[in-house]
This record gives sequence, structure tokens and C-alpha cells, in this order.
Amino acid sequence: MGDAHFPTNYSILLAGPPGVGKFEYMVAQAREALRQGERVVFVTLDLHPNEVRARAKALKLDLEPYEGKNFAFVDCYSATASERPEPPVGKKTFLVSSFSNLEGIGMAMSKAAQELGTPVRIYFYTISTLFLHNSTQAIAKFFQIVTSRAKMNMGFIMYAVHEGVHETMTMNLLRSLVDGVVEMRFTDIMDHEVRVHHMRGFQIDSAWHDFVQMPGPAGGG
Amino acid sequence: METVAGAGRVRTGIQVLDERLNGGFPRPSTLLLFSDKPTEKRLFAENFAVQGAIAGETTLYVDFFRAPSLARAELSRFGKYPAERLIVVDAISNQLLLESTERYRIKDIDSITEISDVIVQAIRETRPSRIVIDSMEFLADHFPKDVVLDQWKRIIDEAERAGSVICFLFINWTYQERDLTAIRALSDFIVEFQSSMRGGILRNSMRISEMEEGGIRTNWIPYTFKDLIGVTVYFPRIMVTGPFNAGKSTVVRALCEKSISVDRMGTTVAFDYGNVNITGIEAEVFGTPGQERFEFIFKIFAREVSGVLLVIDATRPEDFERAKHMLDLIGPRIPYVVLANKSDLPGAMGADTIASKMDLPQGTAVVPTVATESKGVRDALLILAEMIIGVR
Repeated sequence: MGDAHFPTNYSILLAGPPGVGKFEYMVAQAREALRQGERVVFVTLDLHPNEVRARAKALKLDLEPYEGKNFAFVDCYSATASERPEPPVGKKTFLVSSFSNLEGIGMAMSKAAQELGTPVRIYFYTISTLFLHNSTQAIAKFFQIVTSRAKMNMGFIMYAVHEGVHETMTMNLLRSLVDGVVEMRFTDIMDHEVRVHHMRGFQIDSAWHDFVQMPGPAGGG
Repeated sequence: METVAGAGRVRTGIQVLDERLNGGFPRPSTLLLFSDKPTEKRLFAENFAVQGAIAGETTLYVDFFRAPSLARAELSRFGKYPAERLIVVDAISNQLLLESTERYRIKDIDSITEISDVIVQAIRETRPSRIVIDSMEFLADHFPKDVVLDQWKRIIDEAERAGSVICFLFINWTYQERDLTAIRALSDFIVEFQSSMRGGILRNSMRISEMEEGGIRTNWIPYTFKDLIGVTVYFPRIMVTGPFNAGKSTVVRALCEKSISVDRMGTTVAFDYGNVNITGIEAEVFGTPGQERFEFIFKIFAREVSGVLLVIDATRPEDFERAKHMLDLIGPRIPYVVLANKSDLPGAMGADTIASKMDLPQGTAVVPTVATESKGVRDALLILAEMIIGVR
């Protein structure tokens, strides 16, 4: 289920409670895309790029050989952490100064896509973080513009959003602005499940499936 | 207000723009750097700030997004400037729990009164010639609209008293059209920005409108950014065309330091290409073959052309009809300049004769050139650049 291949010029919202495995799902998606020679942009708001690298490695995705060629970070995290952002030599990282700088996030995504060459697959982890720093109204407009730009001019975009921390209205709004929704949940015995809830233009089976995480450190997502 | 060209004005550092603006933006004035979608407007603002510091003017940069160290590091990409000329108002160190050594810093980011008190105090004490507020959407998204507009006016008033040119960066996420009208009314100049992506390439452009009746108004001006050079006006596609053997390849070579030509026995069969860099303008120049059988290439290049240099042999009136036909292919909306080439040869016709023989519209620029000696070619490009930029 983690290796479902989504079309280009398409947008997906990946929704699930914290800890259910959204990060692991995205890494599985990115790993498959890179394996097939596609280009990937990872927009990180919740984790330092080094942490993304380490956790991806534990999930059997070594980003090292791809970085700067098929893979780039948009790093919205480092500049807001007290530590000095130092992009590693030879790797391409697009730094965004602040979670409030929505315009900067939008342009950094475009520049990363231009640098790697289009089409790209963009993974945005997570949209939830923006809500701590911006009004819902501003995020809604940002989300709508960036999604349409990503679909039209860049390729594919998937946003992770934490379920259970936003109001129902907000979740419905985000769901209405994308082409498809993938949901993740815990079962009674704390197993992880995933399903494709809907995909515009496609007939899909929306049954729940086990989501087996790759070996590595637990948690996150 | 000062009206003498160059006096009491601040230069943008973008030469063609400064010429259009009679030497730059007048002091004092209020600029709104506006878009409703994400753009690279910050490049323009940062370039404007650094140009001021380089010119030895005091420049105040109010940054709601970056720690001062990061702001200074990023600003240094626009060129080397004397550090003491650029004063950063630090709005973020307190939020990030960082030590701040800045003279002006905002301690309580949740208080708009404190924010504007610190900005007003900084303006009063430093009397800067340029001020950048980066960005107003931060305030618009964090405080009630009426309060934001009041403080906006207060900052403008203080800037006016200090004789500053103040730039407000603003992307509209939340306001209604009528609020925008009120904000525009506070401004002397609106600089609008666009960024678009086609074929994986980002293109930026801006347009300047003076709010005053009968004021300056430009077309959309494409621009680009390079480290240490800063912002330059950039035309991604200038087409050099004209009848067979008029000297198109020679014009491309005369304009460009480096150029390539795909030719066969001295005649261009595919295209010439070169990159021009003169007086703050960068352009990619494409020369097309003149023969009719290569018209398909012509049509490919005619897409998304910024402007056209039409090269004719001033000694060969029999080719003028072909030249006219090429103008028709380009279409009515693309600016063009006619280069009356080989104007040093016996029998070469003057500009007026050519204009009337070709039945060109009144006011069409016809520039005599000798491409083999690089004469007149750059002038023609500058005239074309001014036509593309446009001004009312």
C-alpha cells in the first residue's frame, strides 16, 4: 500500500493522527520515486534535514547519492531553530527564513523544482505546523495557490496533515483543495492501516490495508 | 516636492529603470511592493536596500522573518556594502530566544504598538534615505485590520518627516479588494510583481505605476538575479530577423561577446544565438535565417518574443517587401526597431526614405547601422529595451 503510484499533475493530502506513520509513508513514496529515476523535493517544517536524512536511512532510503541531483530539501526548519543553518557542501538545500514567510516557502519550492528540473514529486511535511504561525485564512490561500502551481508547473504534491489537531472545518477545507486523500489510522491493537479515501478521476478501492513500517526507529509521522 | 532630475532621488541601481524614473524614486515617497501570489519581490527590495548602502546612504531594513545574521548574509549576495550603512530592525531574535546585539529590536512581537514604536524610533533617530519593511503580511496576519492600517499610516508619516523612501513588501493573503484600495491610496508608487513557471523555468517580472494622475507607468519588465550583480532587467528572447544577407548574424556578433551560429557556407540555416549584457540589461538574442524556406524556424522563435530587431540592407529596396512580410509574421503587439544596415555603403538610403518606402507607422524607430563595425547596433537594442519597458 505504501508503494501506490500517484499520477503526475496531481495533489494528495495524507491525513492521520500523529505517530501513525505519515513520515514513513512519504519516505516509502519518495524511495520508490527515486528508484524509478524521478526527482523529489522534500519540504520539511517539522524536522531538521539531518534528522530526515537519518530517519530515511533507517527506512532504507539513503538520500546521500541523490542530493543535489534528483533530490533537494526545502528547509523551513533550520532558520527557525536557534542553531545556525549550514547547508552541507555539494548538496542543494533551499532555506526558508520562517514559518510565517509563506511567500518564501512557495518560491523555495518553485526554485527547487527549477533546480532539479520538472516534473518533480514534492512531499510537504507537515502543513499542520503552518497553523501555529499563520491564520487559517492565509494558509488556505497559500495552500490553494501552491497546490495549483505544483500541479500545473511542477508535477505532483503530497501534504501530510495531523488529524485531530485541527478543526473539522479546516480539515474539510484542506481536503476540498486537493485531488485525492490518503488516510492512515491505528487499529484497536495499535497496528497501522492506510487507505486511499478518494482520487479525482480514478475508480479506487477504498478498503483499509495494513501499513507495515520498515525496520528502524519507531515514532514520528 | 523636488522635481529636478537626479536631485533628492534614490537610485534603484537598475540603470534603465532609473532613467525611466528620472534618476530614481523621489524622497520622500511610499512604495508598495505588491503581489497576490508568491513572487520574488524580496529580490527587488533587498537589491534596493543594498544599493542604498553601497551609495553610502543610511538604509533601514525591518525584518519580521530572518534573524539579523541571516538577513545580512543573504543581503551580501547583492554586493559588498559598508556594514554600518545598513541598520536591521530585529523582530525575531526574541521569538527564537536568541541574543540580539542590534540597536533596534522588538521584544514583544505580540504588541503592534511596540512593533511600530521601535520602527518609528529607528526612523526618527537614523533618518534613513531608504526603508524596507519586510513584510506587511506578517502584521496583516497577526493583528486586526484597522489597527494595522493605523500603524501603517503612522510609519509612513514618520518616514515622510525623515525624507525617506519607504518600501512595504506585501502579499495579500487575507484582505478584501476594498482594503487593498485603501492601502494603494497610502502609496505613491505601486510596484507589482509576477512569478511564473513555464517549461520548468521561473520567470519574474515587475511593473511600476505612479499613483499620481499622469504619473509613470511601465509595462511588465522581466528581471533576473545573479549573486554579486544583483537585479538586472532580463529579456529572455530578443529576435534578430530580416531578409536574406542583410547582416543578421553580424548584428548578433556585434551585440554579444560570445555567440554561436549554425551556418552552412556563411549563410545561417538554423539560428544565431548570443547573450548580451549592457548597462543593466541582459538579453538572450536569437538570429533567424532570412530565407523563406526557413520560415518554420522563424515561427518557433516568434513565440514568447520580448522584442524584435529587424535588420534590412539599406542599399536593397527590392527586399523591403520581404521585410514587411516578416513584421506581419511577428504580429502587431511585439515592439520592434528597424536596423538600416550597411548604411556606410554607396546608395544606402536614409532612415526617413526607408520609413516611407516601407510605409512604416509614424514614429517607428529606424536606426542606421554598420554591423561590421558594431556601429549603431547597441543603440538600436537600447531603443528596443526602452520600448519593451514602456513608460507613460
